Amino acid sequence: MATSLPRFGARLSELSHYHELISNLVVRDLKVRYKNSVLGFLWSLVNPMLMMLVFTIVFGIMLSNQDIPNYPVFLLCGILPWNFFSTALSGAIQSIVNNAQLVKKVYFPREVLPISTVLANLVNFLLALLVLFAMMLIFRIPLTIWAILLPVVILIQVIFTLGLGFFLATLNVFYRDTSVIMEVLLLAWFFLTPIFYNVDILPAHRVVLGIDMDIHRLVYILNPIASLVASYRVILYTGAPPAWDFFSRTLITSVVFLVAGYLFFTRFSPMFGEEV
Amino acid sequence: MTVSHVGASKGSPIIEFDTVSKRYLLQPGRPRSFQELLVSAFRSSPPTKEQDLHDLEREFWALRNVSFSIQPGETIGLIGANGSGKSTILKLIARIVQPTSGIIGVHGRVSALLELGAGFHPDLTGRENIFLNGSILGLSRTEMRRHLAEIVDFAELERFIDMPVKHYSSGMYMRLGFAIAIHTQPDILLVDEVLAVGDESFQIRCLDAIRRLKARNKTILIVSHSLKQLTDLCDRGIWLEGSQVQELGPMAGVVRRYLGSVADEQAQYLLEENAHTAEELAEQNSTTVGGQSETLAPEVSEPAPRRWGRGPITIEHVQMYADDPATRRGIATWSFRPMQPVTIEIAYQCKSAVVEPIFSLLIHKMDGHYLWASNTLDHPIEPIPGPGRGTLRVEVAGLALTAGRYYLSAAVYPEPDPPFWRTPSDFHEWLYEFQVISPTEVHGDIVMPGRWEHHPL
Repeated sequence: MATSLPRFGARLSELSHYHELISNLVVRDLKVRYKNSVLGFLWSLVNPMLMMLVFTIVFGIMLSNQDIPNYPVFLLCGILPWNFFSTALSGAIQSIVNNAQLVKKVYFPREVLPISTVLANLVNFLLALLVLFAMMLIFRIPLTIWAILLPVVILIQVIFTLGLGFFLATLNVFYRDTSVIMEVLLLAWFFLTPIFYNVDILPAHRVVLGIDMDIHRLVYILNPIASLVASYRVILYTGAPPAWDFFSRTLITSVVFLVAGYLFFTRFSPMFGEEV
Repeated sequence: MTVSHVGASKGSPIIEFDTVSKRYLLQPGRPRSFQELLVSAFRSSPPTKEQDLHDLEREFWALRNVSFSIQPGETIGLIGANGSGKSTILKLIARIVQPTSGIIGVHGRVSALLELGAGFHPDLTGRENIFLNGSILGLSRTEMRRHLAEIVDFAELERFIDMPVKHYSSGMYMRLGFAIAIHTQPDILLVDEVLAVGDESFQIRCLDAIRRLKARNKTILIVSHSLKQLTDLCDRGIWLEGSQVQELGPMAGVVRRYLGSVADEQAQYLLEENAHTAEELAEQNSTTVGGQSETLAPEVSEPAPRRWGRGPITIEHVQMYADDPATRRGIATWSFRPMQPVTIEIAYQCKSAVVEPIFSLLIHKMDGHYLWASNTLDHPIEPIPGPGRGTLRVEVAGLALTAGRYYLSAAVYPEPDPPFWRTPSDFHEWLYEFQVISPTEVHGDIVMPGRWEHHPL
């Protein structure tokens, strides 16, 4: 570790030389995404609105057994961060393999690829947040002082997504099943996260194999995305301060994921050139 | 296992390989999917000796204990058979692959022409791709903006620069890739076979651009099959053989000895081949109509310069001369005008008397198309009386070729060997290149001087 720390620093400083490449790749991703569509970047706004419509019809009208006021806003607070997370993660996982042509022929710090994928999705997410704010206006939900925590919550989510992305992108270079398995896991993850439902509808306690389990706590402890969604909700939808213990735990978890994921990535990235 | 990339210090080598080895696993023994991983976990018996042996067969040492150092400003040519490790050296310098053991020091910014246009996005325009590619090579937007005009100009894409590159022809694509790489101010330029792309005029300009970089004291490493090109461009050569450095020295000498060894190998191969081709030949003869058949004697083959053959006569030297009408003396050159009178000279050495020596000269286009030949079977010469040297001169009244680049091959046979001519004593195949320059005679393959007359009524 003593020898790897200075090398770690050198890597980070090299990475900073390539900030222009990162921004160029982000711009490329966005340009390519909208190049051949009529609505262009408006899709970043239309897409969440359509999703909100579908979920509101299904869970607000057809299956309306949960009484959540201002359901569209409640839903958007969950589904927008989730979309950001799942598209950024799937993109990051594929980023090395999809750019194999480049990785095999040119040297640059490989971490540039997952980073730029996550950042391109971040831009998309920020655009989509406009829809959320518009809906808050329509439903007359006031913005409170706690909304200033929004950038911090977003930052924590980026850190967590990057950490997991680094780890899985590396794995995907060596085992291509990673991305296939992650598709299924992301679907399960979506349902296990209180996105379109309130965590209150889950039983508070359940005895499994003689152990009394606090389901509400477990959902948040085992699932950083659930904690993040709860944070978005509390500062925007409820307009209250977040529960600080959860908040800091999520932050620490995310940083640990990022450091571990990045070390794992840099440990194996020199081999990408001949493995992809 | 270290690759260091730090700033250069004066007087020290810019590239250093210290006992570098690189091993590739041909069919990696490790599981490639989770399924295989699971299966291998249950099959936990220790690998048997047979399996170990199997694993050894699967690995391939692209380089073994290779050491050399290159000074700033040198131009180095890498030669060797396919799979001898040339490209691996370039990939190691470019940091695309890691050495299995040994130390590599590279002190400067590397621009690698391993594949032209790697990293272009088809949906982006040429201009957008210039900036993207520049930043992949580590240049800032402002630096790229400074070179934008030169790049566009060099690639001859003024009218197409705002068009998505997916609409480009492959030639345009390559030109843009080359233009970007060469204008990114590298300290070290790595060129892998890419000089063989594009039309001939672009190739000439690529070579000029490389010469300009060379004049600016940049370090250049070139892998090319054109030995002529390498001899022209490079100061020193590295000859790789069996994953090791066979020779490192002045380019011309390395090329000469490399060709010599290729000829020896070829002779050995022919000797073995001849032992059992007699029957086949007879069979082939019966299937051949008029001495030529499409399968046996393809008109177009892939140009690959090589020297081969075995016998008493060897060709020492081949030179073309442009006949200067003023002095009535030839000037040694490889550059001509259409219909210019030309003399081609062959210098030979002979170990014994040869009754009916057959010398032959052939001209091919760069794409391998067979254009012309003349030989001493059709134009007989006197026998060679005994051991010694001599020269042959062929006077060509007019070089009836359009503008472009051509290969000249020379061969000598100890006796007539129709129809296949498989037993040359010495064959310099595709070894010489010459060009014909003309602003007007550019269409088709041959020149038949014509005069236009116009009679309006």
